[in-house]
Amino acid sequence: MDVEFDERVKGKRFRCRDCGESFEGVGKHPVCPSCQSDVVDAI
Amino acid sequence: MFAPLDDGFLVLEGTSSFLAVARVLRRLPLCIETVEREVVQGLGPDDLVAASAPVGGPLAPALMLIELVRRYGLPLVVLPKDHPGSRRLPVVVSAGPRIRLACGIQRGTHPEQDVLCGGDEFAGLVVSGVPGGVEIEGGPPGLAIRCLPPLSLGV
Repeated sequence: MDVEFDERVKGKRFRCRDCGESFEGVGKHPVCPSCQSDVVDAI
Repeated sequence: MFAPLDDGFLVLEGTSSFLAVARVLRRLPLCIETVEREVVQGLGPDDLVAASAPVGGPLAPALMLIELVRRYGLPLVVLPKDHPGSRRLPVVVSAGPRIRLACGIQRGTHPEQDVLCGGDEFAGLVVSGVPGGVEIEGGPPGLAIRCLPPLSLGV
């Protein structure tokens, strides 16, 4: 187990407005991993 | 140095290792999987996918790996630190707007997408995705750069 992972990659939680999927995203342009929509809200 | 690139590959070759780079060309949610977490990296058209072969070897697996990520959206799997399988990875991949090559890291075990394991000769080299191509900073003297067309899988 890479115990440093939590400290090294900080993601934010998002929820997709189109399909309801919630996910941890990184990067400037969060995209839903289930439906590829970029209409997502930070939660 | 700016290198124009469309939907093909840019291959940066040193004496004993190489780096293949391609543009993502679309909006892509790249899933990064570890033992306990899934993180989704949002990529855009000008971002890059890079495959590095720190000890050299055939080019084809690197190009295939890039296509598996950018065309088919396969997730990246991050090995736990000190995992014995790290030494079995001849090619490792990373994605993002800017990718820096480092030689002092363990193949396949680091989740940060801005750092990629490379051969010693590529230490410090940085590739950045820009509209219409790739900006290359650093790299060894005599670095050979060539452009290849996209793979034609036909299936």
